[in-house]
Amino acid sequence: MGRAVGTALLFLTLLNTATSETDYSPPGRPKLTSCLSRDKETFTCWWAPSDRDDALQTTYALYYLKESSDVVYTCPDYRTAGANSCYFNKNNTSIWVNYNITVAATNAHGSNFSEPVVVDVAYIVQPHTPENLTVVVLGDKDGTFFRVSWESPRKADTRSGWITLIYELRAKLDGADWEEHFAGQQKMFNIFSLRSGGTYRIQVRCKPIHGFWSEWSPTVNVTAPYALPLGSSMWILIAFFSALIFLLLTWILNVKSHSVKHCLFPPVPGPKIRGFDKQLLKNGRSEELFNALGVPGLPPMTHPNYEDLLVYLEVSGRDESELLLADANDPTIAATTEGGKSPNSPSDSDSGHGSCDSHTLLMEKCGEGEEVKEEQEEEQQGDGVAVGRSYGGKQRWERRGSWERNQKGDDDQEMTEGRVKTWPCVFAPLEEYAGSKALDHGSTLGTARLLCSSVHSIPLLLPTPATSPSGLHALEQLHWQPYSRSESTIQSPEHKHRRQQGGGKTTTTTTTTATTATKLTDVAWPAQPRSPFRATEYVEVQRVNQENMMVLRPLSSAQGQREGAPQGEVDYSRVKGLNSGDGLLLQRAVDAETQEEVEEGQEEEEYPCDIQEKNSLLGDERYTAPPAVPGQMTGAGKLSMGLPTAVSLQGDTILAANGYVDTAVAMMPTH
Amino acid sequence: MRSRWGLSESQPHLPPLHHLQGFEAFLCPFLLSWSFAWLGALCLVLRTPTDTVRAAPICDNGQASCQVLSLADLFDRVIQHSSRMHGMSNDLHSQFEQYFLPSRNHISNRVNRNCHTSGILTPNGKENAQRLAGEELTEVILKLLWAWRDPLWHFHQSMAHHDDFNSFSSNKALVMGDLVHELRTGVEKVAEKMQNLGIISNLVNGLRSPEQLLPSPVRPQWSLMNDYDLLFCLRRDSNKVQSYLKILKCRIVPENDC
Repeated sequence: MGRAVGTALLFLTLLNTATSETDYSPPGRPKLTSCLSRDKETFTCWWAPSDRDDALQTTYALYYLKESSDVVYTCPDYRTAGANSCYFNKNNTSIWVNYNITVAATNAHGSNFSEPVVVDVAYIVQPHTPENLTVVVLGDKDGTFFRVSWESPRKADTRSGWITLIYELRAKLDGADWEEHFAGQQKMFNIFSLRSGGTYRIQVRCKPIHGFWSEWSPTVNVTAPYALPLGSSMWILIAFFSALIFLLLTWILNVKSHSVKHCLFPPVPGPKIRGFDKQLLKNGRSEELFNALGVPGLPPMTHPNYEDLLVYLEVSGRDESELLLADANDPTIAATTEGGKSPNSPSDSDSGHGSCDSHTLLMEKCGEGEEVKEEQEEEQQGDGVAVGRSYGGKQRWERRGSWERNQKGDDDQEMTEGRVKTWPCVFAPLEEYAGSKALDHGSTLGTARLLCSSVHSIPLLLPTPATSPSGLHALEQLHWQPYSRSESTIQSPEHKHRRQQGGGKTTTTTTTTATTATKLTDVAWPAQPRSPFRATEYVEVQRVNQENMMVLRPLSSAQGQREGAPQGEVDYSRVKGLNSGDGLLLQRAVDAETQEEVEEGQEEEEYPCDIQEKNSLLGDERYTAPPAVPGQMTGAGKLSMGLPTAVSLQGDTILAANGYVDTAVAMMPTH
Repeated sequence: MRSRWGLSESQPHLPPLHHLQGFEAFLCPFLLSWSFAWLGALCLVLRTPTDTVRAAPICDNGQASCQVLSLADLFDRVIQHSSRMHGMSNDLHSQFEQYFLPSRNHISNRVNRNCHTSGILTPNGKENAQRLAGEELTEVILKLLWAWRDPLWHFHQSMAHHDDFNSFSSNKALVMGDLVHELRTGVEKVAEKMQNLGIISNLVNGLRSPEQLLPSPVRPQWSLMNDYDLLFCLRRDSNKVQSYLKILKCRIVPENDC
C-alpha cells in the first residue's frame, strides 16, 4: 500500500513537473515561415511553432491587417493548406495591397505573437511546376535532337495575361552535371548536341517575371538514338586520308613525271627513217644526214668494219645510161635503186644532179680484206660492175656481210639493205656499168668493187670552210675523174681488167681548188649543179681501219686526168685527223709511196681498187693486176692504194649514225 | 637610276619611292572601290524590308506616308514599354533598399504607406480587373501614368542632388520619367485606336486632362513621400499598369500568348 502510494506520488510529481512548465508559461513565439501565392489570386501563409513543445496545448491564430485599414482580419482557412497554415482564397486576397500578417500562439497560459510580416501578393508568387513535360526525339540521321514541350501550371492563369511566366529547363546525362537552358516565355525547347545512345533526364520549372521559381517538374527520361558513326568526324577522317592519298599521288606523279608524260602524251612518232641520224641533223651536217638516209641498215659502230666504208666512186664522163646500165646489171644496185629496176633512168628524181641520188653516182664500199679476197674470187666469177649508187643523198653501201655472201656466191642482195655504210659523195660512174653487164648477183659486190676499183678512190669532197658543205653539194662538187675508157664500166673485181680500166680515175683534188674536171669524161655526170664552192679536194678513203682510222688517199686533182693519168706524183692528202668540225684534215702528201702504208693490210682492200693497187703495190695476188695502164694503175694504185694516212675518225658523230664518214667538212689540207 | 632603283634609264626620272607609290596607287583605288561596294551592299541589305516587324513610327491620322500599325502591334509595343518601366522601377527599389536599408528582407515589415495614387480606384484582383470594361481599364491606366509624371520629375531632381545615391540610379530615375511619358503616350494612342475601331466607347474623362483625374490638393501628396516610399509606390503602379495592359490586350486582341 505504501509502495503504491509512493509510486503514485512519484508519478504525480513527475507529471506535475512535466505539466507545470507548460501550464505556467505562455507559448513560444511562432514564426511565419513563408507566404506564397501560386497564382497571384490566392496565397497561403505557413508558420512554425516555437521551439518549445507547445503543439498539443497551443492554438494558433493568424491575424492580418490590410493596407490603409485597421481592421484585423483573421485567417479564413486554416485547413486547406495543411497544418500551421492559412489559406487566403480569392475573396480574401487583394493584389497590390500590403498584408500585415501575424500569427498568435495561445495556450492556457497566454499567447504569443509572431513577428508581423508584410506581404504584397503580387510579389510572392511562386507558381506550380509546369505540367505535361514531354520530350520527343526528332531529326534525321545527320543529327537528332530533343524537342521538349510542357504546359503552364494549371493554376497560373497565363491565358488572360494575368501572369506572365518564364520557363527554364535542365537536362542531365548520367554521370554528368545539369545543363540549364533558359526558355523564356515559350513552352517548347530543342536540345541539340546529343550524345548518341545517352540517357537524359529533363526537368523544367517556371517563374513569373517578378516572383519565385517553381519547383522542378518531375524528371522525364529519354534516350538519344544511336547515330551512325558517319558523322562529321568520320568525314573528317575520310577527307584527311583522301588528302594524304592525293599528296602521295602528286608526289609519285612528280617523280615519275617523265614517264607519265610519256604515257599520257606519247611523243609524236617522227618519221623513222633508218639511218637517220638526228644528231647529224642537229649538227647541221645535212649532207651526211641525207647520205645516211639511204642506208637502211647501219653497221654497228662497235668494231665497225671500216673496210666496208671504203667507197670508190668513179664518175665517168659518159652518159649516165651506161652507168645506169651498169647499174642495172648490178643486182645490188638494182636492188638498191629506187624503184628497183629502174636504174636506167638517167634523170633522177632527186634534186640536184650529181647528188647521191643520182644513179650515176657510184657508191660502194669495199669489203675488208677477206672480202677483197672474196671479191677477188668474185671477180673471177664474172664480170660485175660494181656500182655504187647514191640515192637521194643516201649512199648505199654494200655490206660487208653481203660482200661475204656474195663472195660465197649468195645471191643475197640484202647486202644493200644490210649494213650499208654510206659515204658522202661517192659517185661512181655508171658508164662502167654500161660496159659490164655481166654482173651477176653474186658479184654484186664484185661489181661494186669493180666500180670501186674503177673509181679507185673516193673523191671526197673537201669543201672549203667557206663553202657550205652539204652532202649533195659536196657530191656535186665532186669532180670525177673519168675513168679510163675501160674503167667507165665499173667492173667487178673479177674483172680486173676492167677495173683497171676504171681504176683510179677519180680525180681527187687535194687542193681546194676549183672543181676539177672529171676524168671520166665518159661519165655523164648528171647535171651537176654548179656548186658554190670551188675549192674542193678529193681524197680517197680507202678504208677505215679498226681504230676508226680512215685511210684516206688524196687523189691528185688532175684536171682531166685521163685514164692512166693518175700520177704517182699526185699529191696525196694525208688525213691528219679530224678537226673540231669533224672534218678530215688532210695533208697533202707529196710522195705517193709514202702512202704505201697500208694499214691493216689486206683488210683495207675492200675496194677493188685498193686491192688492185695493192696488188700492184704489194704484189698481192688478190687480184690480178690489170696490166692495162700500169702506170695508171700504179698511179691509181698510188692514188688509191696509196697508203692513206690514217685518219682517226672521231667517228661517233660521223660513223655511228650512218656509218659514213663525214668528210664534207672543211678540210685543211696541210698542203 | 638604273642600278639603284632598278629603273632603266629610258624611264622617266621618278622619285625614289616610285615603286611604293605605284603600289599604293594600286591599293587606294582598290580599297576605295571595295569600301564603296561594301557600303552599297550594306545599304541594300538594310533597305530590304524584312518580313518581321517593320520599323515604322506610330502615325497620326492624316499622314499618308506613315506605316499604320495594327492594334496588336500597338499593344505589344506598349506592353514592352510597361515591362521596361516595371523592371526599372524594381531595380531602383531594390537598389535603394540595399543601399539604404540593407537589413530588410524581401518580405518587408513595412508599415502601411499611402501612395499618392491610392485615390485612384484600381482593381485589386484579376476578377475585378476583368470585370472592368475596356474603357475603364484604359482610364485607370492613363490615370496612373499621368499621376507619375510630376513625381518622377521631382524624384529625378532630388536624386541628382543626392551624392549618396549613385549616379546610376539617378540616371535611372531620369530614364524612368521618359519611360513613363512614352508609355503614357503609347497607351493614349492605343486608346485612341480602340476608340476609332469602336472597340471601346469614348473615354469618360478624355485623354488629356490629368488635373481632372486626380484630386489636386494644395500640396501634392507625393511631395510628402520619401524617396523610398516613392520608389515603392512606383514599382507597384508600374506592375499595375503592366498587368492591366496585359489583360486589356488579351481581352481585345487575343493571341497565343494569352
